[in-house]
Amino acid sequence: MSDPSAPLALTMHLALVSSISFGGFPTVLPDVRNFVVGTHRWMTDQDFANIFAMARSIPGPNMILMMSFVGWKVWGFPGAVASAFATFGPPCTIYFASYRLWDRFRDAPWQQIVRLGLVPVVMGLMIASGTVMARAADTSWPAVVVTIAAAAITLGTRLSPMWMLLVGGALGGLGLL
Amino acid sequence: MTEMAQRRELGQAVPLAALFTAFLAVSLYGVGGGGGVVWARRIAVENRRWISNREFADIVSLCQVMPGPNIVGIAVCVGAKMRGTIGTIAAVSGFLVIPWAIGFSVGLLFLEYVHLLVVRNILGGIAATAAGLLIATGIRLLLPHRQRPAALLFAGLAFGLITFAKLPLLAVLFVLVPVSTAIAGIEKGRAR
Repeated sequence: MSDPSAPLALTMHLALVSSISFGGFPTVLPDVRNFVVGTHRWMTDQDFANIFAMARSIPGPNMILMMSFVGWKVWGFPGAVASAFATFGPPCTIYFASYRLWDRFRDAPWQQIVRLGLVPVVMGLMIASGTVMARAADTSWPAVVVTIAAAAITLGTRLSPMWMLLVGGALGGLGLL
Repeated sequence: MTEMAQRRELGQAVPLAALFTAFLAVSLYGVGGGGGVVWARRIAVENRRWISNREFADIVSLCQVMPGPNIVGIAVCVGAKMRGTIGTIAAVSGFLVIPWAIGFSVGLLFLEYVHLLVVRNILGGIAATAAGLLIATGIRLLLPHRQRPAALLFAGLAFGLITFAKLPLLAVLFVLVPVSTAIAGIEKGRAR
């Protein structure tokens, strides 16, 4: 932390890993942990775990927030802002360029083929991550019922998810789940 | 689809402020990670009718195979689709600036306090609901592909390899997508 080049090193490292974070930022979290806890000892493992748990439980751009807290630990507020930019800047540029490319070839035959191949796999992954989340969250039968009810209501009606989240949160807060 | 294209040609471009507030809402509503895509579909496809269900599935899939926080990618793509570069900046700013400021302040406070049981219980209830929402959104986006047996097979494989075999996401993605795409190519070739 006394090293004046620490903020630069952290920002550069985050920009690098965010550019290769295929499958979302959680896939490179182990690497970030090694960098800040192992290599540079900017914080303890416990600090890192606390930041992770908190970033998961508050609304908003979780992983960007999490890296901001890492930056905060290293270099205060400027570190937090620099880390946030390093986390979303490079991927945004890549998304923008690839969407432009995708949109330009919207009627090309190859694009229909890629769509037919890609979309089902990604949707299977999305349903799987919902299931993995459910496994972690559904610690009781009532909680399983809540998950199934939320899925069924979403598929069958146009009720706003906000009502379901409120009811879910209230049932949890009352200790019913 | 055509109706939307006509509206754009008539010069009724989506206001930048609308992109900003829409993605601000997506960001604030998406509690606990993974929920963002639920809200992005709800708002961009159902409420505002900016893009079709199929285009949304395209965008989500495109973002999934690119590096980075996928949900920010949805903001980038929807913004670019509606208003080009400036639209992207509006959508991404909406998604990030205010939620980041709130989250950062709340987080600094949160780090100071012990985790209260009631807070954990509420978060647990929200997480159980959010899991159901995510499953339903995946099913909804898969529905347009339900006529193709291969689509259902690969969706099922992706689901099973993650849920039951517990393989890493990256491995599943980069094994299944090329095979799935190759089979789609063969099907298309036969149909012609």
